[in-house]
Amino acid sequence: MFWEVTLNLLKGFGVTCEVFALTLLFALPLGLIISFGSMSKFKPLKLICKVFVWCIRGTPLMLQMIVIYYGPGLVGKWAQGIENPGAIIAWLASWTVFDRFVAVLVAFIINYACYFSEIYRGGIEAIPVGQKEAGQVLGMKKSQLFFKVTLLQVIKRIVPPMSNEIITLVKDTSLARIIAVYEIIYAGERFIKAEGLIWPLFYTGAFYLIFCGVLTLLFGYIEKKLDYFRG
Amino acid sequence: MKRIIALLMAILMMSVVFVGCGSTADATKDEAAASDLDYITEKGTLVVGITDYAPMNYKDDNGEWTGFDTEFAQAVGEKLGVEVEFIEINWDNKFLELDSKSIDCIWNGMTITEEATLNASVTNPYVENAQVVVMTADKAKDYKDAESMKDLSFAAEAGSAGEATISDNGWANYTAVKAQSDALLEVASGSSDACVIDITMANAMTGEGTSYENLVQALKLNTEQYGIACRKDSDLTAKINEIMATLMSDGTLDALAEKYELALVK
Repeated sequence: MFWEVTLNLLKGFGVTCEVFALTLLFALPLGLIISFGSMSKFKPLKLICKVFVWCIRGTPLMLQMIVIYYGPGLVGKWAQGIENPGAIIAWLASWTVFDRFVAVLVAFIINYACYFSEIYRGGIEAIPVGQKEAGQVLGMKKSQLFFKVTLLQVIKRIVPPMSNEIITLVKDTSLARIIAVYEIIYAGERFIKAEGLIWPLFYTGAFYLIFCGVLTLLFGYIEKKLDYFRG
Repeated sequence: MKRIIALLMAILMMSVVFVGCGSTADATKDEAAASDLDYITEKGTLVVGITDYAPMNYKDDNGEWTGFDTEFAQAVGEKLGVEVEFIEINWDNKFLELDSKSIDCIWNGMTITEEATLNASVTNPYVENAQVVVMTADKAKDYKDAESMKDLSFAAEAGSAGEATISDNGWANYTAVKAQSDALLEVASGSSDACVIDITMANAMTGEGTSYENLVQALKLNTEQYGIACRKDSDLTAKINEIMATLMSDGTLDALAEKYELALVK
């Protein structure tokens, strides 16, 4: 029994890890892009980014997932009900729901990219202006300034807040079950209904603990490695 | 240069916002107002939203879906000429699933409630679940409602839904017995006036042609009827009703009801 449960939970945990890894892979660079946008001197872009970050950080991830998964289908159904459709309505009518897993990923990537962007912004703006000026005096280009002077210091500074956010991400993946994606909590809850076993649900906690424990050690190691680099 | 980068980023942002909207459907679909039934037959699959819920939909030892609703849906799919695909959904979001066309119907022992009829187009009921009061035919004439039964003595299986029904109605004079069949025996022997048992049991064991010919179902309590939910205004509902009537008359559903010990709505 224990083995059967463990195997089932591992299957769910695989999905959890997939959501986690793919979200990080895309949200880390996307967050950097958004942070550039919200620091831009081009006002409209700055405004768009700020409003976007406000919307995403200001609504629950659970709701975003529901909107992203069910939204296109609902719009499509609404548009199909309109008579004499124009070109835009006809296009809207072709909208359908897409894969559940993709919907979860899109929601997580957008959501986490927004949080990451603010962490990046904090890190970048904390670098003293004097360094930038010194670089300019030395004739460095903007890109050189960013990659050779700013970036490494930023990375060192943002490791603690990032590790916080990344550990939160591990646990947030459990929200995916809202749109019936088979992650580990879903796998655990199934045993209550199908077999009348409650302990598998609590057992899922062990998987999260171990995963977060590994991440904590990893971040501790990274912080130590970056320690030589005193900003 | 900076302007161009800024512009590119603005475009990128917009595309991120709309990435969720990229549709996989064929945009050249004929007219938008095609009927729901056409939509389903055209794509060739009926997507059924379920949860793991025995005996309606559950997995057998090989991990394949089985159960009353599973076999029923497959029989309907065969008549419709489409494949039936079962998708596990989050029951809380069932109507969202339906409306967004993520599934085509909810078919999972769904009790027909006001919530269901408000949010979807529900077929005729097909299975009934209820607790019934069984007593002898001559007594049943005098007792028509729960209020009049309060002085009778009852029997029910210990820990059963019937027992809960008895206490819900405040019937104080009550004996707990080991099994539902024992409760029937109590009534037949006259040691209790009435018993409360599942409707499936009552249908199978009382009335003409059974060992308890003189017992009748005097009152149905906590009646629930199961129906299938389709999208609002969908023509699939009528089609399923039509096929359901055929399957009722040719005995397919009776066989299934017997196999899974359920009571059909006739």
